[in-house]
Amino acid sequence: MMRNFWLSFVTVSVFVLTLVTINSVIILNVLANASVKSVEGRVQVTVYFTSDSSEGTVKNVQGYLLGLSQVKEVSYVKAEEALATFQIIHQNDPVILAALDEVNGNPFGQALKIRAYNASDFPFILEALETPEYKPFIKEKNYDNYESALKVLSDFSEKVRLGFLILALFFGFIAVLIVFNTIRVAIYVHREEIGIMKLVGANDWFVRGPFLCESIFYALIATGIMAGIIAATLSFANPYIVAFFQGVDVDLVAYYSANAVPLFGAQFGILAFLGLGTTAFAMRRYLRV
Amino acid sequence: MTEGAINERVARAIILCMITFKNVTKEYPPKTHALAGVSFRIEAGEFVSITGQSGSGKSTIAKLIFAEEKLTSGHIHIGDWDISNVRHSDIPILRRQIGVVFQDFKLLPKKTAFENVAFALEVAGESNKRIREVVPHVLKIVGLGEKGGRYPRQLSGGEQQRVSIARALVHRPKIIVADEPTGNLDAITAREIIELFTRINDFGTTIVLVTHDRDIVNGLHRRVITLRDGKVASDAEKGKYLLA
Repeated sequence: MMRNFWLSFVTVSVFVLTLVTINSVIILNVLANASVKSVEGRVQVTVYFTSDSSEGTVKNVQGYLLGLSQVKEVSYVKAEEALATFQIIHQNDPVILAALDEVNGNPFGQALKIRAYNASDFPFILEALETPEYKPFIKEKNYDNYESALKVLSDFSEKVRLGFLILALFFGFIAVLIVFNTIRVAIYVHREEIGIMKLVGANDWFVRGPFLCESIFYALIATGIMAGIIAATLSFANPYIVAFFQGVDVDLVAYYSANAVPLFGAQFGILAFLGLGTTAFAMRRYLRV
Repeated sequence: MTEGAINERVARAIILCMITFKNVTKEYPPKTHALAGVSFRIEAGEFVSITGQSGSGKSTIAKLIFAEEKLTSGHIHIGDWDISNVRHSDIPILRRQIGVVFQDFKLLPKKTAFENVAFALEVAGESNKRIREVVPHVLKIVGLGEKGGRYPRQLSGGEQQRVSIARALVHRPKIIVADEPTGNLDAITAREIIELFTRINDFGTTIVLVTHDRDIVNGLHRRVITLRDGKVASDAEKGKYLLA
């Protein structure tokens, strides 16, 4: 390896660049998932009941909804509480408060606020309220629509992920070309030694083994460097990332610590696979043993 | 079959170490006949010189014996083993049974004399313990007992050729094929190298010496096979170098 220092250096560098893009995809994935989860957690449906509905009826509906496996939480809101909350929210909006004054009494009825385990379950939950038993008491179902925000977030992260994956493939391709060339040059440089090995009775694996080991070694070094880069970058940037995603549970250091072995094991595996495959191909092409 | 078992089988097959060429032809495309119907038999323990002008096919014979080239037609036997169509995977095993010495020594410049000789055992998977035992002994046989730690550039041409011979000997082969081993050496050193080969031959090792050096051939008083245009021109016991 040291005999072709610059070739080895370039090979390891491109391997590292490939891993940088792969890790960018991983980090982006973690951040996007945490953000989506956070937004999804805020999605709720408010069901308003008619003013003639009794508290018992509303509590019955609450019990019915809690019986559904998709429902995470159902909270009961009294009419007075709904009015008070509305007034607090709009305390700086005199037009709305004036309009409220013109309405005689409390325009709000009792309500149930529903949270689901999964935002995609809301259509099913809303459909479940269409039973003849409860439908007459329901005045309105208000779906706080975060769907468009979620879609924008998902689409954006998906596009960035795709971009990074294409970049990773590009670097992977460059890595293959460079490994191929490195092995080709190594075979050329060592041709005399290889010839002598063959003449004194070395078998195929004795000749090919060092080249295969070399490609695994490159993969190992690149993975080690990448682990170092991740450790250094995250220890510096993690507090800023946590601060930026306020309220969202993102701790990349904890994520990498918990998944270090499978993550870097897989990255080493990818590089080793690329390296071994390319080396085998280069040897098939240039190494006559 | 394990490599060890194959080695043993091959060792048994060539224990008699006769080399038989039967009507061997070697062509290089498009129409160069390096050998054309060459037949001869070399008995176990013989010292045979193969001579001829450049291009007569003598080096091709050496290359065919250690399977660096494949013959076009005919048969080559080493002992009981027909190596005419030797399998690729058997070539290393064959080469561990035949010591080969070249004109240009073919030593690894970044290895010492000891390491160059040891290398031949390493590729065969010998243990370090055995390497440490055998290599100094072989270096002593070729007269380099004190120079094992030197690199090829620190040795004279004759000494480098001795290292090469030690490497060929280290497997204790039944046959040594030497292709122009004195081509790069002065007359006195060349004579010393040939003396070394005769001593090795005295221990029962078959020597096939490919050379065009008239003095060496004439000084040996051993069997001489002379090639001309890829054919055997003469095959004489205690022969002389024939003028082309």
